[in-house]
Amino acid sequence: MRLGFFFREAIRSIKANVAISVAAIVTVMIAVFILGTFIPSYLYVQSTVNQQKSRLDIQVYVADAAPQSQVAALQAQIVALQSQGLIKSFSFISKTDALNQFKARLNDPSILTLLPNNPLPASFDVRPADPAKDGQIATALRTSHAIDTTMPGNGISYAETTTNRLLTIAQFIQYAGLVLIAILLVAAILLIGNTIRLSIFARRREVEVMRLVGATNWFIRWPFIIEGIICGVVGAAISVVILWIAKILVVDPYVSTSTGGLTRDSATTIGFGTLAVILIVAGGAVGAVGSGFTLRRFLKV
Amino acid sequence: MSTDADAQLNSESESPAPARRTGRTAERRIDRRSILRPGDGSMVIFDGVTKRYGEDVVGLDNISLSIDAGEFVFLVGPSGSGKSTFIRLLIKEMDASEGTVIVGGRDLGKMGRSKVPYLRRGIGCVFQDFKLLPGRTIYENVAYALEVTGDAPKSIRRKVPEILALTGLSDKSDRLPNELSGGEQQRVSIARAFVNHPRLLIADEPTGNLDPDTSIGIMQLLYRINRTGTTVVMATHDRDLVDKMQMRVIALEGGKLVRDERSASYATVEP
Ligand SMILES: Nc1ncnc2c1ncn2[C@@H]1O[C@H](COP(=O)(O)OP(=O)(O)OP(=O)(O)O)[C@@H](O)[C@H]1O
Ligand SMILES: [Mg+2]
Repeated sequence: MRLGFFFREAIRSIKANVAISVAAIVTVMIAVFILGTFIPSYLYVQSTVNQQKSRLDIQVYVADAAPQSQVAALQAQIVALQSQGLIKSFSFISKTDALNQFKARLNDPSILTLLPNNPLPASFDVRPADPAKDGQIATALRTSHAIDTTMPGNGISYAETTTNRLLTIAQFIQYAGLVLIAILLVAAILLIGNTIRLSIFARRREVEVMRLVGATNWFIRWPFIIEGIICGVVGAAISVVILWIAKILVVDPYVSTSTGGLTRDSATTIGFGTLAVILIVAGGAVGAVGSGFTLRRFLKV
Repeated sequence: MSTDADAQLNSESESPAPARRTGRTAERRIDRRSILRPGDGSMVIFDGVTKRYGEDVVGLDNISLSIDAGEFVFLVGPSGSGKSTFIRLLIKEMDASEGTVIVGGRDLGKMGRSKVPYLRRGIGCVFQDFKLLPGRTIYENVAYALEVTGDAPKSIRRKVPEILALTGLSDKSDRLPNELSGGEQQRVSIARAFVNHPRLLIADEPTGNLDPDTSIGIMQLLYRINRTGTTVVMATHDRDLVDKMQMRVIALEGGKLVRDERSASYATVEP
């Protein structure tokens, strides 16, 4: 019943200064909209970057014909380089592992049944301690007879340093995005704060009467906090609807045409349901923080 | 004035239980809600109370007095003599600069800020400007005081019509404050102040905006409330009213206590 009272008072107050509440709602809406486009893109880039990072690994392909002893010798060489500190870690990927990984990237894995046997070689996946020393490691391992020289890079393949640089740029863009989000959230918090400040002013008689008849401080504060949360959640909810429409009309058709090839883009991002929940919670939090700060400053009780 | 309300008020004064309908239990509940417990019979004790505003403005100057539970007291004096200061100290809107203020057995100087709401629930306040909420009906204005102190909806639905009948406002309950006369608005504010049956009712110039006839009506209402056992402290400029009532008069001048007489007039008769 108290909750009922707080909500009734909060809604009464929003109705009483519609224009200002709408301004706050729109600001939250814009901030949350940008947050809502940023989060999936950020995660998508992150996922791509992680894949690119694995491309910094050195692939050492093992010839199908190589005897077990040569493979063991190659592994010993790698272990030796690891103990010198050149190699951070490595793993062995068998022919079956390689095939399974490839299957996972195919839109239609059934086409593999057309193959008479497994064409993929086994390999060592070597992660260098410093990607700039890829060349040094490759030269050292090239002496092994177990290497399948028919594979790309004569059996030892590794990415160029440009890949590395691209990743640095991607990282920078992500940080810039985070700063932009932070600025927008602060703006939204300030605008909600301003709405609540005006609402405190508009309701100063109520506050005076409440104090006079002995309402506790929290009883006086709650309607304002709920007012802030309502503005935040409504703004976020409108954003979620707009984002959903954008997803249906723009993103989904684009994604389905761009991945029409044999393999699909294996980079992943967030599901829309989870995103919607995060955004609405963020909107509510912005509202609560905005009104909280203002109450501390303008409603000394 | 409605005779119904009169009858109720009068019968109320004969049996001191504020809510007779629910009997003893209700009375005990009301007692527990109030933190005012005037143990030795004094509702208000001022002991050497001085209130300074800033460096050199003196609101009250070394006041010592005591008001018994159940008394009716007029607080008189020229403008700026410290009447409102006195009243604001009673509800701990501010603290005394020196001395002790004790209300209902509680030393307000030692009371923490978090207890203040509970102190105020035990004190009804009435002001010259009514302090009604313009967007709400009479019923809602009175119910508001109960809602914000966490009263249950059921008890609100019982208490509000009761107090509106008591103050002669039953037929006005759906009106807005600006649709009432000044006297009626002041009745609403008294209804709101008294709906919890506080043990202390303070009124700062409640008739300040009203014509003499309306003032008498308000005065009678406050007097009947006093007859139910509630201590009433009323600050006023209204010489005729004070002379007519012949109650205890506390006179202030320049923050000093200049007179404290029982059954007195606004001013001492000069020889
Ligand atoms: N908030 C304040 N700040 C500074 N001085 C104040 C304040 N409130 C009251 N005073 C001063 O304290 C003195 C007493 O004021 P108070 O309001 O108690 O008088 P009063 O008897 O209620 O007067 P009135 O009959 O006009 O209402 C006056 O000199 C006034 O100027
Ligand atoms: Mg005054």
